[in-house]
Amino acid sequence: MNTFVQRFAESSATKQILAGNASVVEDDDFSDAAWGSEAGFGSLAKGVPSFMIPSVPDPASFLRLHTDDHADPSCRIKIQHGTTTLAFRFQGGVIVAVDSRATAGSYVASGTVKKVIEINPYLLGTMAGGAADCQYWETYLGMHCRLHELRNRERISVSAASKYLSNLVYSYKGMGLSMGTMICGWDKTGPAVFYVDSDGTRLKGDLFSVGSGSTFAYGVLDQGYRWDLTDAEAQELGRRSIYAAGHRDAFSGNTCNLYHVKENGWEFIGNYDITSLHYDGPGNVAGSPGHGYGYELRVEGHSASNPPPEVAQAITAEA
Amino acid sequence: MPDMAALAHPQQRQFNPYSENGGTILAIAGADFSVIAGDTRQSEGYSIQTRYAPKVFRLTDRAVLAVNGFAADGNMFVKKVKQRLEWYRHAHAKDMPLRAIARLIQTMLYARRFFPYYVYNILGGIEEDGTGAVYSFDPVGSYEREACRAAGAASSLVQPFLDNQIYFKNQRPAAGTSHPAHLPLPTVLSIVIDSFTSATERHIEVGDGLEMYVVLAKGRTLQGLEGIRGMQELTATEDGERVFIVRRDLKRD
Amino acid sequence: MDHFPTNWGRPRNDAFDAYGTHPIHQRPYNGPKDAFADGVQHTQQPIVTGTSVLAIKYKDGIMMAADNLASYGSLARFKDVQRLCPVGQYTVIGAGGDMSDFQYIQHIMEELTIDENSAQDGHELGPVEIHEYMSQVMYARRSKMDPLWNSLIIGGFKDGKRFLSYVDLLGTTYSASTLATGYGSYIAQPLLRKAVEGYEDILTEEDARKVLENSMRVLFYRDARSLNKYQIATITSAGVNISDSLHLETSWSFAEGIRGYGAQTQ
Repeated sequence: MNTFVQRFAESSATKQILAGNASVVEDDDFSDAAWGSEAGFGSLAKGVPSFMIPSVPDPASFLRLHTDDHADPSCRIKIQHGTTTLAFRFQGGVIVAVDSRATAGSYVASGTVKKVIEINPYLLGTMAGGAADCQYWETYLGMHCRLHELRNRERISVSAASKYLSNLVYSYKGMGLSMGTMICGWDKTGPAVFYVDSDGTRLKGDLFSVGSGSTFAYGVLDQGYRWDLTDAEAQELGRRSIYAAGHRDAFSGNTCNLYHVKENGWEFIGNYDITSLHYDGPGNVAGSPGHGYGYELRVEGHSASNPPPEVAQAITAEA
Repeated sequence: MPDMAALAHPQQRQFNPYSENGGTILAIAGADFSVIAGDTRQSEGYSIQTRYAPKVFRLTDRAVLAVNGFAADGNMFVKKVKQRLEWYRHAHAKDMPLRAIARLIQTMLYARRFFPYYVYNILGGIEEDGTGAVYSFDPVGSYEREACRAAGAASSLVQPFLDNQIYFKNQRPAAGTSHPAHLPLPTVLSIVIDSFTSATERHIEVGDGLEMYVVLAKGRTLQGLEGIRGMQELTATEDGERVFIVRRDLKRD
Repeated sequence: MDHFPTNWGRPRNDAFDAYGTHPIHQRPYNGPKDAFADGVQHTQQPIVTGTSVLAIKYKDGIMMAADNLASYGSLARFKDVQRLCPVGQYTVIGAGGDMSDFQYIQHIMEELTIDENSAQDGHELGPVEIHEYMSQVMYARRSKMDPLWNSLIIGGFKDGKRFLSYVDLLGTTYSASTLATGYGSYIAQPLLRKAVEGYEDILTEEDARKVLENSMRVLFYRDARSLNKYQIATITSAGVNISDSLHLETSWSFAEGIRGYGAQTQ
């Protein structure tokens, strides 16, 4: 039991990570942990994750040489990117909404990415930047949140959880990690949203949007945001904002995943196809306008390209 | 032929630890089965190194892993995954469940975040609840469970075909009907074979041979697999999931 | 962090100031300084090099060929080096690339065989084991960014089975019934494939020898780093045999007939 606590004691995490980096040459000596149930998180067997670093004078530029397809389109390892994520706080909790597109260059690598990471029943993290960085470190954060519960007999605050993450990524600053995430939850202080990124920035706030489509999302979000939004209105605002980004940003789209964090934990509200949102709207859900978000509906009968139904029929008949 | 521009400045040469060995892999999950396939050509540049270098590997009776990208990294990665699965077997006297293998692969890939394995992985098999599953990974370990996925040299040719044939993307069913949620095994095998014959036609790095692994859930019938030419069973344990391999020739030009 | 849309997911470049917030073009480096940075520069380049190695399967086993030249850049520096080296009783390693690295490989192979032999446990290293061992060594060195700058072909015959496989400085491995390294992979490989594929169990030793001799000759005509002095190794049920140096008979009269490129255009 002592060794267990010791292994996960985080008192000097950064120190250990750095020490680990210096001494570990991959996984040539395993602790007994690798044999047992921890086989999944084998790289954590020594207490902190250990990473193999290429033995070159500047590892970060090595990584950039092989993974930065922006500077060199012919580079081989293409890390997925492009995103719109948003989260905001209101009287009824926190709304978290994201798109589901991952791009590698101009190729849509996936349209079904889960960009909301369910850290535990009370905490959500969002994914922007390196998909693996977000998935891995937010899963890792989940382990530490559970250990905090075991040690302190109470749930970790959103503030503490986000600070844990920001300290962690800060210790890798300059190594090439790339993540822009919002840690969302409900704790003793009520609903909370923290923005954490790979530079080590950590901001508390009411409303954030991150990613290439964030400007579009902010446009819709800012004009519809109020503290006293009802649950239905808030969910609709999140959906509508992601739709706007998916519609106008080439790197965002496919579908929208919507979550609502309430006092008793988060709830998955639904998955909405961006194209369906455009033409038909979200369907029979709370806050739905009952029609598509696209403006064709609102200009119907006002332009030659979108004539009133009777005129359109006449034109078709003539042809 | 050697890069003449590089030869002009021999002093500038910096060792590049990566290469790209072509080929394509593909996996499709059914209701109670999973098909994982890959071609067998290994190439570098315009040269075919060999016409038979497997890219798909049986891990357990319910898990099959396909690796694509840099062959040396791929082979080493598969070797290490198999080693970890064997340790798990020694510790727990059972095979690791599929979703645990997926997480294991994530952490193993992420352990090389700063010196990545240049490998795209697709893991296919049967979950503990008996459903067919496919997990796809990027080189540094982000992963997702999907119904189908193509990776490698011809992924941008094959994936749109799968979107059309498996997901029925942008298609409306005829009135009074609906798209099937899961396709039967013979249909899936036909789609896989068509994917690879077509990729062979249009991509120079794909061809020579095709290896398709089929994983069947516990207690299922062969579902039309019995008559298939070139089928061979690889199952190691009794009363569990069953693994089969089907080999086909692809054009060698 | 970098909020510039298309830079998402990419390692940041601190040397480049996207927003022009800093007046100096090259920003100061405050990271750890390593006075021995030049001293840990592992990666070199090949200096004294060997060119192609050829190998094929035939009826009785494996046949390999390599010339006796070690070049120093464009200088034909050493003209009697052996690039085919027996390991144990069943295996031959043929090497192209850096000759000093190859000598180091020969050294570790010798140590390995001595260790195995002194164990006297009834196990003998066959070509499969030696290839596996070498591929691990080559991959480990590339992962240390300190590669052994060679392309190796490992051929062998043990327990009635032929074995032929390749490994290079990146740790890339593959096997086929014909293999060739360096320029051989462009010039000789098509000739070898045409002669051998499908005939692996028919080709006699005499046929195989002819195929390799002809390929070595074609290479000598076109590869400026090759030599007309070469050796042939056979690995069969009778064991390893590496020939004395052989001389290629060549005829250059065809050169008269070449028109259409180079200085001679008429």
